[in-house]
Amino acid sequence: MKDLSVDGLGMVYELPKGGSVEALHNVSFDLKAGRLLTLLGPSGCGKTTLLNIIAGFLAPTSGSVTLGGDPITGPGQERGMVFQQGALFEWQTVSQNVAFGPRMNRKKRSETETLVRDLLSTVGLQGFGDKAVYELSGGMQQRVALARCLANDPEVILMDEPLGALDALTREKMQGLILKLWQETGKTIVLVTHSVEEALYLGDRLFVMAPRPGRIEREYELPFAKDGLDVDPREMKASPEFIAKREELLSLIWEMEEQIMGHEGAVS
Amino acid sequence: MTALARFRPAGRNRSAGARKTVTFGDASEVKGSPSWSIASLIFLFLVWWWIKRGPDPMVNDRTFPSLRQSWDAFFELVNSGYRRVGLWDHTWASLWRVLKGLAYGVVVGVPVGFAMGLSNRLRGIFDPVVELLRPVPPLALLPLFIVWFGIGEGSKVNLLFFAAVWIMVIAARAGVLGVQGSKVHAAYSLGANRWQILRYVILPNALPDIFTGMRVALGVCWGTLVAAELTGTTTGLGAMIFAASKFFRMDIVVVSIIIIGVIGVTMDLIMRFLERRLIPWRGKG
Repeated sequence: MKDLSVDGLGMVYELPKGGSVEALHNVSFDLKAGRLLTLLGPSGCGKTTLLNIIAGFLAPTSGSVTLGGDPITGPGQERGMVFQQGALFEWQTVSQNVAFGPRMNRKKRSETETLVRDLLSTVGLQGFGDKAVYELSGGMQQRVALARCLANDPEVILMDEPLGALDALTREKMQGLILKLWQETGKTIVLVTHSVEEALYLGDRLFVMAPRPGRIEREYELPFAKDGLDVDPREMKASPEFIAKREELLSLIWEMEEQIMGHEGAVS
Repeated sequence: MTALARFRPAGRNRSAGARKTVTFGDASEVKGSPSWSIASLIFLFLVWWWIKRGPDPMVNDRTFPSLRQSWDAFFELVNSGYRRVGLWDHTWASLWRVLKGLAYGVVVGVPVGFAMGLSNRLRGIFDPVVELLRPVPPLALLPLFIVWFGIGEGSKVNLLFFAAVWIMVIAARAGVLGVQGSKVHAAYSLGANRWQILRYVILPNALPDIFTGMRVALGVCWGTLVAAELTGTTTGLGAMIFAASKFFRMDIVVVSIIIIGVIGVTMDLIMRFLERRLIPWRGKG
């Protein structure tokens, strides 16, 4: 198991019309293996940029990210990725999508078949292997994306608003699935979300990020994810502790949004 | 009336099943109408017949063959061919040239289009060539092609290749550029290397565009065919038209035109059928 370490990360985007935006400013943290970190913040706070740097899709303008001491310089299969819109391969069946990683690694076909069957039942899609992915609902597509990501047995799973496109009910169900996968596999997960409730419920650690420049504004250690599967999720989300935290975070983010509005008002 | 009744689709309640009230502007409601298509065809033949029996002295059996004459000419062609070459041989000669020209166009155009979609340098190199030559009508190149590739099959197939290749380049390039970044990212994160990205992500993603390009190119090739067969051959539907026009056999010209049209439609239908079978994921990404 490898720890993730982010050190002095900075990211400056040059604007085409001149000037620049500081999407990340001196972001540093260590994430022990097996923890679930949620990133929350208003738009423009750099949470997706941070995720893309950890994934290796973007190179930071300063600082570095290491996984188990090895610097990250590009995408790699020890860091699995789940996107908001599945990014599934629509020309392949559900099984073929899940088998993509092992196939790229030239794993034995028979082993892969067993693995795919196991993973599909883990995410609750047994019997759907031969379906085309576009025949599935949005929630089911995200289940496929999770299974596909797990097939390579990554050290870290990065999720960029994985449930953002789902309806509220499906979203609750999928939150349960993510918790279950986290507890069963013990994987490190970094999850970006703009839902306060989701960040609280899933995050074993939570960073609230702030914009201009993008930075970590506040850190939380949370108890909810650890008990998440033992307690009824609705009950947990209705508990006084949960509500108190939710209101605290909401007012924090509201304040930030107000400041951004004020700032933009002053500019224009 | 229960409260639920308000949610029933409007319109006559007698009709079984839901009925949309807004259909104008709804693309899914416009599927064509076979009966109107048949009516339109019949109308076309009626116009033909009507022009024939009109009083215009310029319209006579020599300048404007009647339906009857054309039908007879068709049977004459089927039974004894034209200028000692059977109708099937004429058709096959044309078809073979078109298919060859298209095949070369695909084989050359798709890799070039991919290269242009994947590399700045190659895009820079090919851009002027493609943009300069694409608008040139193939017929304009016929004299050069005859000199370069000979008066025989070479110049004809090359002309059809020229008609097809730019379409394939543009189609393949569009296919590559249409790939969602997140799919490429996902594949890299799953351990794919560059070659695997090309083979397992970019190629299948571009196939629908490539197929559309092939359909367009097939149509354009078929349309260029008559120009390609202008000289240097006695076989082919285009050659047949030119020979017949010299002898003022307008009935044979008309029949050849109809045959070209019917084969063009048939080939497009075949392509559409193949598309549905081979690329069921089109538009589902």
